[in-house]
Amino acid sequence: MKPFAHSLKNNFSRRAFLKTAGKTALAAPLLLGIPRTVAAAFVPKASEAMYYEKLAEKKIKCRLCPHECQVADLERGSCGVRENRGGTYYTLVYGQPCAVHIDPIEKKPLFHYHPGSQAYSLATAGCNFSCRFCQNWEISQRRPEQVQAITLWPEEVIRQARNQNCPIIAHTYSEPVIFFEYMRACAALGKEKGIPNVMISNGFIQKKPLQELCRLLGAVKIDLKAFTEIFYQEQCGGRLKPVLDSLLTLRSENIWFEIVVLLIPGLNDSRQEIERMCRWIGRELGPEVPLHFSRYSPTFMMKNIPPTPAETLHMARKIAQSAGIKFCYVGNLLSAAGDTYCPSCGKVLIHRLLYSIEKPGLNGNRCKFCQTVIPGVFT
Amino acid sequence: MKISRRCFGKTLLFSGAALTAACLPSWLPAAETDKSLVAQAVSPQLKRINHDIPKQSAQEYLNRSMLIITGKNNVTAAWRSLFAPAENVGIKVSCLPGRPLSSSLGLVTAIVDGLLAAGLAKKNIIIWERTSRELEKAGFQISRNGLKIMGSDELPGGGYSDHIEFSGSMGTFFSRIMENIDALINVPVLKDHDLAGLSGAMKNMYGAIYNPNKFHANHCDPFVAELCNHSLIKGKLRLVVCDASRVQVHNGPAFYPSYAREYGGLLVSRDPVAIDFAGLGIINSLRREMGLPTLADAGREPAYIQTAARLGLGQAVERLIRKVSI
Repeated sequence: MKPFAHSLKNNFSRRAFLKTAGKTALAAPLLLGIPRTVAAAFVPKASEAMYYEKLAEKKIKCRLCPHECQVADLERGSCGVRENRGGTYYTLVYGQPCAVHIDPIEKKPLFHYHPGSQAYSLATAGCNFSCRFCQNWEISQRRPEQVQAITLWPEEVIRQARNQNCPIIAHTYSEPVIFFEYMRACAALGKEKGIPNVMISNGFIQKKPLQELCRLLGAVKIDLKAFTEIFYQEQCGGRLKPVLDSLLTLRSENIWFEIVVLLIPGLNDSRQEIERMCRWIGRELGPEVPLHFSRYSPTFMMKNIPPTPAETLHMARKIAQSAGIKFCYVGNLLSAAGDTYCPSCGKVLIHRLLYSIEKPGLNGNRCKFCQTVIPGVFT
Repeated sequence: MKISRRCFGKTLLFSGAALTAACLPSWLPAAETDKSLVAQAVSPQLKRINHDIPKQSAQEYLNRSMLIITGKNNVTAAWRSLFAPAENVGIKVSCLPGRPLSSSLGLVTAIVDGLLAAGLAKKNIIIWERTSRELEKAGFQISRNGLKIMGSDELPGGGYSDHIEFSGSMGTFFSRIMENIDALINVPVLKDHDLAGLSGAMKNMYGAIYNPNKFHANHCDPFVAELCNHSLIKGKLRLVVCDASRVQVHNGPAFYPSYAREYGGLLVSRDPVAIDFAGLGIINSLRREMGLPTLADAGREPAYIQTAARLGLGQAVERLIRKVSI
């Protein structure tokens, strides 16, 4: 195949573009033929949750995420998908995805993990955060009975992924941590059948369940929402420290992971904050962790702030590069800063346009030009 | 003439109701009496028999309460002072714990009778909760025609509006029922709540939004107050009828017989804050009788009550609330 002339979007091949668009359009038909559960009649199925502790008087304490919700009988945790029924904690979303699509792995984004692959992507309702800028709020901020769901057991997920020629299964869109049991089952089965699972997460999870996932998953992407506690508290209903702890756990568990930072004007895009973040990443996680700066668009509860200017994204990328981070990207923006460059010779290894890729400089996991080993999982 | 989306939705929900009436600006009650007047009854006749207050007792005490809080001298006038015949009225019940601790059917029936006496048509009344399933578990029979008894979940879009509403720090979607009624009668059950401290009138409105699970931090403060400060609730709430026939004194909101007391109480007011303040007094008093610490001593003081008072939603100071015992 003729290599791309990188950075010139008009030179991107029409065939490559249509191929991607066509595959992405497969998403909707996936739901056809599978019985949907209509919200009004939906009674969530329940299976016992993992990682919780029984307390006196039929209360429970959830140990899955750092919220550590103490939940009385008949109540639910903050995620809205785990319910105490008589002192036993249940997940209401096991095998009940409300979103099933086929996406390029670049959309997650995971740029160093089987680039160019299609990921069979699924999500259930619910999230343990309440980000005011959530792009997927229509499922993440709803409870199981408020969405249309289908029944899709892990065996069927594997079968469907295989039938759709997807070598990867992605748990994504909402927050996979809150459907931990379902993701865990899919990941265990996928590992056995040779279809790795990836988690696209906010990283707000306790250490033990994360360690368990690390043994089953192929890769993880973490949304690092900001580098201040106040942002996490006011904009997300969460906390920064546990997310940083999760990143350290991923590092120590030696699983492939990438980080995405959505830059929102005036809230988390100051030079000082980005510098502190990049220094921490370089020092604690190492310079080879890919770092993506994504463009925010107004949505959900945050419609009063304009989209992130391109200059801000490029500034952040430069700061990251100055901090020694080798693979820095700009996302949600057509730009040459979405390409992968060899950190040694500077040549283009992977060229991306939208979610299509070409690999003009990559040979296996090495730079074709200078033989530098590129970190990640390449096929 | 264009019909607004809200107006269309109203027509859809209350099919058969006169379109003109439904589109009129919300009719405001003209009761002259002190808004923070709480009529409070405690009687053996109000104790539950087979999980229900006997309808006759409920009606008697409710009507007497209505005379007190409206200052009218007959029951029909009392109800008419709060509700106009052409209005669509929603009765928000509380059904989470199932029949033993839900809004009593006998009491709700008495409320409906009061509305009918005021000249409202059955078809303009809806008894509602989050889901029809919860209503059924509480003993209500689902009805989609005439007098409607149904959950928000029966309506399009899962029952919730498609536009976000803000109030203070909260952003949420309201039940379409809340959007389409003219007036609201709130019928909570007085109970302890593990996280909120107390679940009464204001906390009952968590059943009107799609994501209550996001607003339980810090003992629901300021969220309960902020929610009730939204115009959809503040502007439509006309009456609170608090069922204290059986009070869950501890370990709520679920029903635990060992911590429940057959109190035989009924509180009626137009002020949701005053009702909750009075309810807090009852819960604390019953807790002391049972040898339990007060909610404040247990670290679960429902601070949202004072927050609501600061927002101007009602009174939460003893001397500013006029209690009339029946």
